[in-house]
Amino acid sequence: MTIEGSDINVDMRVRLGTLEFRNPVVTASGTFASGREYADFVDLSRLGAVVTKGVSLNAWPGNPSPRIAETASGMLNSIGLQNPGVEAFCEKDLPWLAQYDVPVIVNVSGHSVAEYVAVAARLEQDLTVDALEVNISCPNVDEGGMAFGTTCVAAAEVTRAVRAVTVKPLIVKLSPNVTDITEIARAVEAEGADAVSLINTLLGMAIDTDTWRPKLARGVGGLSGPAIKPVAVRMVWQVASAVSIPIIGMGGIMTAEDAVEFMLAGASAVAVGTGNFVDPTTTMRVVDGLEAYCRGRGISAVKDLIGAVKF
Amino acid sequence: MSMDASTERKLLEHARVVSNERVAEGVGLIVLESPRVAHAVKPGQFVHLRIEQGASFLLRRPFSIHRVVGDRLQILYQVLGEGTRALAGKERGAEMDLIGPLGTGWFVPEGTAHALLVAGGLGAAPLGMLVEALALRGIAVTVAQGAPTTERLVARELFEATARRVEISTDDGSAGERGFVTALVERLIAADRPDVVYVCGPEAMTRIVARQALAAGVACQVSLERLMACGIGACLSCVVATVDGQKRACVDGPAFDAADVLWDASEIPPKH
Ligand SMILES: Cc1cc2nc3c(=O)[nH]c(=O)nc-3n(C[C@H](O)[C@H](O)[C@H](O)COP(=O)(O)OP(=O)(O)OC[C@H]3O[C@@H](n4cnc5c(N)ncnc54)[C@H](O)[C@@H]3O)c2cc1C
Ligand SMILES: Cc1cc2nc3c(=O)[nH]c(=O)nc-3n(C[C@H](O)[C@H](O)[C@H](O)COP(=O)(O)O)c2cc1C
Ligand code: FES
Repeated sequence: MTIEGSDINVDMRVRLGTLEFRNPVVTASGTFASGREYADFVDLSRLGAVVTKGVSLNAWPGNPSPRIAETASGMLNSIGLQNPGVEAFCEKDLPWLAQYDVPVIVNVSGHSVAEYVAVAARLEQDLTVDALEVNISCPNVDEGGMAFGTTCVAAAEVTRAVRAVTVKPLIVKLSPNVTDITEIARAVEAEGADAVSLINTLLGMAIDTDTWRPKLARGVGGLSGPAIKPVAVRMVWQVASAVSIPIIGMGGIMTAEDAVEFMLAGASAVAVGTGNFVDPTTTMRVVDGLEAYCRGRGISAVKDLIGAVKF
Repeated sequence: MSMDASTERKLLEHARVVSNERVAEGVGLIVLESPRVAHAVKPGQFVHLRIEQGASFLLRRPFSIHRVVGDRLQILYQVLGEGTRALAGKERGAEMDLIGPLGTGWFVPEGTAHALLVAGGLGAAPLGMLVEALALRGIAVTVAQGAPTTERLVARELFEATARRVEISTDDGSAGERGFVTALVERLIAADRPDVVYVCGPEAMTRIVARQALAAGVACQVSLERLMACGIGACLSCVVATVDGQKRACVDGPAFDAADVLWDASEIPPKH
């Protein structure tokens, strides 16, 4: 596995089932829109994949403002999956993404099993879509959202229903707001999920001590950023030992070393979320840094990091 | 003419602090050497500034560009929390990276001959470049400026040197009229019939001025502050409700046509 010398060419490719990425670094849903806004800072064709903002069947208005609050080493958000609906997304965003040589993973949201199925069925017809990521873990919508990700029965039901309408690779995005994430991971694996991504945001709250009001209009929201990284790494490690499908790991990745931690814990790919807001070039820094990390240690293939944590 | 810059490239630039001084109680003026952004920025646009790297707070802070002199950006800032406290501590030579120019900036309607600018407190910040740009184009400018005290009338000298006329109000009566700037505005709109009113200040004030202008049949643009994470249109944290649906203050604003804003559905940011 290790080769002496530091001028080796590192093989940065990773596989998630039938999906092949040129490197392990992808975007976290909801933090990168469909990529257009980042085009001045990021060469999209240097990403492992683009994971888009969640889409639902019809347009969703999202939650009232304020929708974000900064907290120590992190932030809370309650955007509430504001999106124009799958039809508008297919018309406006997919053709734009199609001009780049990068796999496109579309994040799917729903209020009901039927809605997840309808969105997946619509996306199935579009060749630009390389895979679906089903979000059963959004803490910011009242019906649906996280409810589907917190019981094995519901998680299995959504996965089974979407599996029935898609032949594209199916990734299920898991919620950390559960007692045992490995049970949910096993349940979706059993229903045919090709990969899991984790973690979505942790349910949190912040209160303004001047006004005594919650900092988010909705009261509660999802915590992201470096503050959640140790929880995320732990969950990736637990899930990696519980299932045999690949994992996309995320939660607080700001640097290449953060990405390495996730890969050592068992992730085959990693996603950058909140890090994009802090520095819009974070994904590129992580790609370059991962390669330099491997080269510096004589690791010839980045995939050798996957699950290599030592005890 | 439009000062619309939305199709322009956004830049990520390492800026260097040239000077940073207190201009009033709790208010500072920082000058940053940032040549690429300085040459591209238009009145009403802002930058998203990374004040600290790897500190306990992560997110960038949005600040309007008050003025541009050569390669340098001037930012007027009010010290409020952790970020602006850290900004106040930056000394000459310190480096910070910023993204800019961001937002669409102010729009100057065709045929404008006379403009009224209304500044409430730190709302003077994004009006600095505007007053200079309008004056340069021979547009007659009246400024109505309000602040709690004389000391807090930031940028008053710039307005007095550039505008045709400046009217002042202070809450304590230490300069100009005692009371709120909205009383001045009511009179100025009636007497001068400006072609357009530009407003920036606390949202409650902005809203009253917008109502005054629109009731008099005068076009009005407002600059709105929202909490911003990305600052470039991706995260949807900064939405403003308008007649054309939800708009993002960071890319569709921060300047909006007052007639388009659905005030009751929009939120006032906390603490201001
Ligand atoms: C487009 C735009 C232009 C601005 N221009 C100026 C300017 O020229 N001068 C100036 O003094 N201020 C300006 N502000 C407000 C300024 O961004 C905030 O006062 C600043 O971010 C506060 O940071 P803090 O860490 O000191 O405060 P804290 O309250 O500790 O900040 C906590 C979080 O809330 C955010 N926040 C707090 N208040 C505001 C606010 N009013 N608007 C947006 N975000 C806020 C911060 O960015 C941070 O993420 C502008 C805001 C926007 C949206
Ligand atoms: C503003 C914001 C919006 C998000 N929107 C979505 C979404 O639409 N769908 C989804 O599955 N996850 C969404 N997420 C969760 C992220 O994709 C990611 O799982 C989480 O933020 C943890 O990663 P991070 O710490 O790198 O941000 C969102 C996160 C943030 C901060
Ligand atoms: S701040 Fe992210 S969309 Fe405006």
